[in-house]
Amino acid sequence: MAAVNALQPTDRLRRSFVYRILQANGAVFEEINGGAVAMRFGASTESEVAKARRLGLADLSPLPRTGFKGVGTVDWLTAQGLTIGPDSNRAYRQSGGELAARLAPTEVLLLDSLSGDGALIERLNGAWGWSTETPRKPIGYPMPRADSHCWFAVTGEQAPAMFAKICGVDLRPNKFPEGAIAQTSVARINGIVIRQATALPSYYLLADSASAEYLWHGVMDAMLEFDGGPVGLAAVRELSSGV
Amino acid sequence: MNGTGVNGAGMNGAGRLPAPAGRLIDRNRTVQFNFEGRSYEGFAGDTIASALAANDVWLLSRSFKYRRPRGVLTMAGQDANTLVQIGPEPNVLADRRSIGNGISVLGQNYDGSLENDRGRWVESFGRFMPVGFYYKAFYKPKSAWKFWERVIRNKAGLGKVDVDAHHGYFDKQYLFADVAVIGGGPAGLSAALQAAEAGAEVILVDDTPELGGSLNYARFDGSGEMARTVGGELRAAVALTPNIRVLSAATCTGWFSDNWLPVIAGDRLYKMRAKAVVMATGSIEQPMVFRNNDLPGVMLGSAAQRLISFYGVKPGRRAVVATANADGYGVALDLIEAGVAVQAVVDLRPSVAPSPLAKAIFNRGIRVVTGHTIAEAMPSAARDRVAGVLVAEITGEGTFAQAAETIECDLVCMSVGYTPAGQLLHHAGTKFFYDRASHMFQPGVVPAHVFPAGSVNGTYNLDTVIAEGRHAGWAAAKDAGLAAGAEPAMSGEKGAAGQTHPWPIFPHPKGKDFVDFDEDLQVKDLINGLADGYDNIELLKRYSTVGMGPSQGRHSAVAAVRITAKETGRDIAGMSVTTQRPPYMPEKFGHLAGRVFEPERHTAMHHRHIEAGAKMMVAGLWYRPAFYGPSENREQAIREEVLSVRENVGLIDVSTLGGLDIRGADAAEFLNRLYTFAYAKQPVGRSRYVLMTEQAGAIIDDGVACRFHDEHFYVTATTGGVDAVYRQMLFWNAQWRLDVDVANVTAAYAGVNIAGPRSREVLQKLCDDVDLSAEAFPYMGVRTGTVAGVPVRLLRVGFVGELGYEIHIPASQGEVVWDALMAAGQPFSIRPFGVEAQRVLRLEKGHIIVGQDTDGLTHPYEADMAWAISRKKPFFVGGRSIEIQAEKGLTRKLVGFTLDDPQAPVPEECHLVIRGGAIVGRVTSAVRSPSVGKVIGLAYVAPDQAEVGQSFDIRIGGGRMIEARVVPIPFYDPENKRQEM
Amino acid sequence: MKIMNCPLNGPRNISEFVWGGEVRTMPDPNGCTTEEWADYVFLENNTAGIVREWWCHVPTSFWFIAERNTVTDEIIRTYPAGEVFKTRVDFAPRPKTQEGTR
Repeated sequence: MAAVNALQPTDRLRRSFVYRILQANGAVFEEINGGAVAMRFGASTESEVAKARRLGLADLSPLPRTGFKGVGTVDWLTAQGLTIGPDSNRAYRQSGGELAARLAPTEVLLLDSLSGDGALIERLNGAWGWSTETPRKPIGYPMPRADSHCWFAVTGEQAPAMFAKICGVDLRPNKFPEGAIAQTSVARINGIVIRQATALPSYYLLADSASAEYLWHGVMDAMLEFDGGPVGLAAVRELSSGV
Repeated sequence: MNGTGVNGAGMNGAGRLPAPAGRLIDRNRTVQFNFEGRSYEGFAGDTIASALAANDVWLLSRSFKYRRPRGVLTMAGQDANTLVQIGPEPNVLADRRSIGNGISVLGQNYDGSLENDRGRWVESFGRFMPVGFYYKAFYKPKSAWKFWERVIRNKAGLGKVDVDAHHGYFDKQYLFADVAVIGGGPAGLSAALQAAEAGAEVILVDDTPELGGSLNYARFDGSGEMARTVGGELRAAVALTPNIRVLSAATCTGWFSDNWLPVIAGDRLYKMRAKAVVMATGSIEQPMVFRNNDLPGVMLGSAAQRLISFYGVKPGRRAVVATANADGYGVALDLIEAGVAVQAVVDLRPSVAPSPLAKAIFNRGIRVVTGHTIAEAMPSAARDRVAGVLVAEITGEGTFAQAAETIECDLVCMSVGYTPAGQLLHHAGTKFFYDRASHMFQPGVVPAHVFPAGSVNGTYNLDTVIAEGRHAGWAAAKDAGLAAGAEPAMSGEKGAAGQTHPWPIFPHPKGKDFVDFDEDLQVKDLINGLADGYDNIELLKRYSTVGMGPSQGRHSAVAAVRITAKETGRDIAGMSVTTQRPPYMPEKFGHLAGRVFEPERHTAMHHRHIEAGAKMMVAGLWYRPAFYGPSENREQAIREEVLSVRENVGLIDVSTLGGLDIRGADAAEFLNRLYTFAYAKQPVGRSRYVLMTEQAGAIIDDGVACRFHDEHFYVTATTGGVDAVYRQMLFWNAQWRLDVDVANVTAAYAGVNIAGPRSREVLQKLCDDVDLSAEAFPYMGVRTGTVAGVPVRLLRVGFVGELGYEIHIPASQGEVVWDALMAAGQPFSIRPFGVEAQRVLRLEKGHIIVGQDTDGLTHPYEADMAWAISRKKPFFVGGRSIEIQAEKGLTRKLVGFTLDDPQAPVPEECHLVIRGGAIVGRVTSAVRSPSVGKVIGLAYVAPDQAEVGQSFDIRIGGGRMIEARVVPIPFYDPENKRQEM
Repeated sequence: MKIMNCPLNGPRNISEFVWGGEVRTMPDPNGCTTEEWADYVFLENNTAGIVREWWCHVPTSFWFIAERNTVTDEIIRTYPAGEVFKTRVDFAPRPKTQEGTR
């Protein structure tokens, strides 16, 4: 049980779309960038990391993210110092550990690093504005990605087998390399799956924020046979460290 | 009875054989189960049928039509003879399902008990039940069917359905392979190994518990060593190959486009996708047709071999083997080694073809009778098992001499030929052609990415089978894009000739010579069907039902073709078996359904509504509060919610409304093309109604367009319509290529509408960066600002007709703003209101709901929305069509109405507007308005009765007619003063 | 289940796609006859053979064009709409005489 005066999601304005489920599972929250993130679920860090190595589901929804879309997007982001390669459906890692996920030739989703300091995201959101020059140079438009999508991490050896129960794209590590993106149907809703750069198979799963509770329960049910379960950001960080 | 199976060979000669027989059973683990109320023991690894056979129980079920006793036929899960019921689960294959501790198994298709079926009278009635019986007997007079249907339905069907049965947990999983190999016999194992050597990811699917196929039960040489050696080597090699994944006890039930292969294993349905597939599905041994060929104890030779090899069960005491190939001699050898007394081998052929197996039989001095057949099997006194056969000389095709010898036996093995297990190839579009040399059907052209190998492809010699498997594996790997290396050699005799007898069918004058065991069809039934004019095999199948039972013609289709060819005087070489369609084996609905995925969308305030006692309703995938309070207070709650908005202040969650950000230099031009109104001159900071029509001019959506920047419109759409609207927008701009970007931001924004005369006062408490005064922020104005510390979009819109603000909030902060508004509104007695109250409020204002007050044909003129059409624009989607329809004249018009009679009931949606007995329209919305104090509604009426003041008739429930009067809308606050306060 | 190759997302199960009708040219909405317009709105050619169709990948709402043989059900080629629709489409203003005549 969390201590009486421990941080709760309702103490903050921005709330995860699944915070009630996290609370019910005994999550311990910590503040990151104005939101309460589930860091662990009561168990010892070692056992939670072990679970994450087998099969874990983590909620990263309170972490910073944004997006840009429209003609000129990639040029503008490049001018802002980002490194974005030519291929769509590929995530490009930035120097601060952020991911620039190119969803289409003119669309980029930006996910903060697991530190969640939000520096790059904030800088980009602040830098974008309606230009007054004519003709206006195309720079794309911001997308409210922090609110449109929930952000989960699915970690561990059994993640590909679990995904095979809810997703028709072959996500096994040898077929879905680090940085690969699949925009596809996951448990019958639209989702974005991004393979993280970790030794173990580990994926970010982003989907309609209004369906977050449904998706959480659906993934949990698919995880049952593998003895998977909820894990906190601490375990996800542990798995991603050293990369 | 109990326990006889435990002690090796049981009493009376039946029972268990010593190892190495019984490769699938674990003799150290006994399993107790019940059959027909009696307790039995078997071993782990036993099927229900094998465990019962070990206990000398051979009667498993009764037949579908004549209730004839039935037992083991194939021991391969291929027939319908062994369908049993386990608790609520009907139609379990007893020769495939493992016994489990404590399970209770019942036979099927009987009244009373399996051994003493009260329904057996049906059989003696059988001669009155010719083929086409149902069509002929029960429709004269036509009303007769009503009576007979109940009787027949009671008798018909397989097993018993328990409608209260607990739902099982079934699920599905995708599988991906470079090469899928279906069938784990010598061809499949070889193919898998070769493909894996080429680097392919291979999935090998086999429907038995142990890889090996016929190597695990059949005999390829006199000693039986060859099968053991080859099988052992292939299995070991597969086990050592990491890139072969084996799915055992798994059935591939179909082939679908692009090598999409459903595989059922336990309670899971795998959805396998393979780049290339090797079909090594083998062949199906065919029964003979003779009188009483369905008696328990009459089985395929391979069934007896499976009983011995898999389960260590002695299949009988005294046997007669009927054969027409070398394999029958292998069966006889297996029986002898199992301690069964082989009374005779009856060879249908005029002379025995030399083979090592035949030679071994001759060496053992077993009696071999050539040129003879079994003319009839005779039942035991209890009529539940074979007790002997009549053996007679064959005098011609299907005929035999009168004189016959009786041979007593309790086991008859039939080894007279095969047919390819080509169902999956059939699904893939392959046609099968009759091959005169082998008397078998053989696959013709096989589609791309599919590679047959082994006996399904007419190859029987073991060496050739293995070579063909290797070759198919190589070809499949190459087809899957792998560097497969040099092409393996493909040579050797296929060995199909001499496997199958051309006419193992011996009709008996007294019948009961079954061609199809599932449907109890005898030779004469097919002949009668042909005589009735159904002289094509596809027609005969449908008329006689041959091949339509659970085993789908696996043992009857070829015989039916042979009979059809003979009776119609046609050459069988020009004929084919009936088309096979998926599934190859029965699938449960549970497998097809899998886990239930029913997506639900929750707004950011979802849990607040539930905490407040809201009765939730479904809108598309969304959950919305219908009203707040218990169901029994529904009417009162809605009324109070309405009055709270009209008189005070209410708060509704409108998060489910669609939201689209339209940005770019052409944003206004884009809206001009997609919506009926004009947007080019719409000022920034203002909103405007949007009405969308499709190409044919019908209304499909509406909302408002808020101009936040010269190049930025935030457009709302209906809850159910936004996804289609968004898709349409992208569709059109893929062609127009305007400088505009469309983003569907529905989920990103929670939304509330705070409405009522006191809404401004409440909002004022939480918002200090927007001047909310009517002058600074008038009706239809839009602003961005901060509410309760959260950046929001503010819209002054008037759907409910009161002063009000729609607040669009980043979804992650929606709950915070809801809570703040409820708290700030508390001194004003703020009340949340639901969709039901909103429907009343909007109807009082005469606003339509797209999809309720419009249908798939409603165009704007019909909906009296000419005001929303700009006719100066060069183009909008649907514009030309609307124009054409308007020129043709209206056929109906949407009007507002009230009922003059204060006692009249409220009409319901779709109650009809009647004039002179004809339908001229219908009610689309109606309610007893709390604000106006009478019944108000919208209805389609004839154009000439649409003037204000005219009356029309509505036919309500019970056929009663009530009079309605056309009135101007809005019904409430006609001058729209309140929303503009 | 068939596989369709999405030009943006690669090969996917056909269940991820929706069909958008044949690729057709809109007649001049202000100049064509009623019959020409009705033909455009309501009638499909239903060609037995190779057709050019609109398809949309639902998870990304990406519209593209597929060439498909309706006889063999083979998908021959898929490509972005930009290969066909290269330039901005504009509509001629309505003739003055028609404006507001109702």
